[in-house]
Amino acid sequence: MSVVFRIEAPYRGAYELHRLTFGNGEGPTLAIVAGMHGNELNGMHAVNLLAGALRVVRPRGTVHLFPLVNTFGADEARKRWPFDDHDINKAFPGDPDGTVVDRIAQALLEASDADVCVDVHSGAPHVRELPQVRVPMSGDELALGRAMGLPVVWRRPGERLGGTGLIGAWRAAGRKALHVVAGRGITLDTGHSRTTADGLNRLMAHLGMGHAVGPPATIADVTRSEVETHRADHGGFFVPEVRVGVNVEPGHLLGYVQAPIGGDRLSEVRAQRSGVVMTVRAWPMVHAQELLVRVAGTDAG
Amino acid sequence: MSRDVRAPDLAYDDPGEARVPELSSIIEVELPSGDVTAVMRRRFGASDGLRVALVAGIRGDAPEGIRIAHAVMRFLESYEEKLNGIVDVYPCANPLAAHRSSRLWPFFDVDLNRLFPGRSGGHPPDRVAHAICQDIRGADQVVELRGARAAFREAPQALVRHRDLDAAKLAAHANVAVVWRRRPGPAAASTFAHQFPGTIVLEGGTGNRLTAGIGEDLSDGVLNLLATLGLVGEADLPFHWAGLRRPLEVDDEQVLRVRAERGGLFLPAGEAWRSVAAGEVVGTVVDPVTGELREEVRSPADAHVLAIRELPVVFPGTMVARVVTP
Repeated sequence: MSVVFRIEAPYRGAYELHRLTFGNGEGPTLAIVAGMHGNELNGMHAVNLLAGALRVVRPRGTVHLFPLVNTFGADEARKRWPFDDHDINKAFPGDPDGTVVDRIAQALLEASDADVCVDVHSGAPHVRELPQVRVPMSGDELALGRAMGLPVVWRRPGERLGGTGLIGAWRAAGRKALHVVAGRGITLDTGHSRTTADGLNRLMAHLGMGHAVGPPATIADVTRSEVETHRADHGGFFVPEVRVGVNVEPGHLLGYVQAPIGGDRLSEVRAQRSGVVMTVRAWPMVHAQELLVRVAGTDAG
Repeated sequence: MSRDVRAPDLAYDDPGEARVPELSSIIEVELPSGDVTAVMRRRFGASDGLRVALVAGIRGDAPEGIRIAHAVMRFLESYEEKLNGIVDVYPCANPLAAHRSSRLWPFFDVDLNRLFPGRSGGHPPDRVAHAICQDIRGADQVVELRGARAAFREAPQALVRHRDLDAAKLAAHANVAVVWRRRPGPAAASTFAHQFPGTIVLEGGTGNRLTAGIGEDLSDGVLNLLATLGLVGEADLPFHWAGLRRPLEVDDEQVLRVRAERGGLFLPAGEAWRSVAAGEVVGTVVDPVTGELREEVRSPADAHVLAIRELPVVFPGTMVARVVTP
């Protein structure tokens, strides 16, 4: 383990950005980042599971792991950098002479120089996501994303091409970049973490850096139009009737919104197509138009 | 959605003698608990003249802007019969954030000032941004009223787009110390001010605080803008124009960020808008445990201090002051 960036902190030990490096140096380079948001724990666990495996079997090439970028945020279960409430993932490409978040972003971008880069996140604290890779509509990154064999491959036009996020910065630097989302913020889901770690392992196998531990687990490979999104018609208390990963058919009851006081059922949410539940709202208090459930269609083609 | 609402606390003391200005909700957001929060607009005037929109409280930690809106409304309440045009005042665009004094919209934890022009079918902050834009569309002049960021104390200033010379010329009448012609940053396209060409942003004071003098200066500035635009007679202003500030107009090259090199507690050496010579100390950084001096932070040029850090905790690289060179 090495410290690739360090900066003093006023009231506590210095902030340090840690990198774990594995491999024989003969082959491709892979960088995997997790914990940029301090309340997203599944990515941290997945990367640490992978680290455990790589300590046993040294990979071909070079693997850089960053299990936890936002240590100060993680200490407080906060998504953002606690000092100034800035999102590190909106500070790229960063600035070595800028604010502390700018400097962390610049150091991370520089230290994660690799042929293929993966940024692992959890869903927001109020939604749970089936492990998925979000990729562009075509090209090398689509092939790499599919090679991970995660339950959902979500092809999205212009996926994180611009802006100030790490994925966009990697791509601007000419690197292949994948965006992985698994589980829910604030909580640890060991099953989703294991699934994600397996996907990272399959990606390494695809790159010729090791051997895959199991067959792909992809259930749905979809575009936006093939994802059925259910939003709340009105505010209330959402009660889910499904969990992520469940296969559903048209008419299946996905959940319902009830009055928070009195419990009158205000509306029901039902599947309109065959598919797998990829997103379920975990925090029940919902505003009108908020996301409740997403179903990735398995009936296309 | 538009719904007429009468709010007794905002009406005239004696509604029998004067018309109650129109108070409307431009959007109502239903909350999960069943409550409703609304973004309100108060309209003054009804003539065919110019329409000016004054928008405050886009962030919930900027009560100074809300106070400015209140002061302007107090004047307009007694002036409406003579008002040559329409003034729409939106005293608080982000009521839930203001309710808890936070910069961001609660729960979603998003900055409303990064969501414009908004979406009619999005989540509540998106819909609020959309409703505000729709309601303001067609206004001849838009003014955003802000407070400063919570960590800083700032001199009264007007921000306009760097190439918008007309807006800069108008903003010179806003009783500010500086008119800053600012280049758009990466997030500019999603800010409120970017949606309407010529928008003037007024800010000053400190976030989450009301600073004596700042609100009064900027509300005078807004009234003077209304006079400059012809909505209010110059002779009717409650102050004499000769007492207003003559601002310094600057661009980005004249605005310098001063950063701490060490972490610790920053102790400012003086107030906003004082003059400093090149090399003069603008503040010191001390060890937070022992209080011993770690760094003297110095001005890089002969300048005025536009903003000075109020929140003492700093990391290496934290901006502690912003200075402007003439």
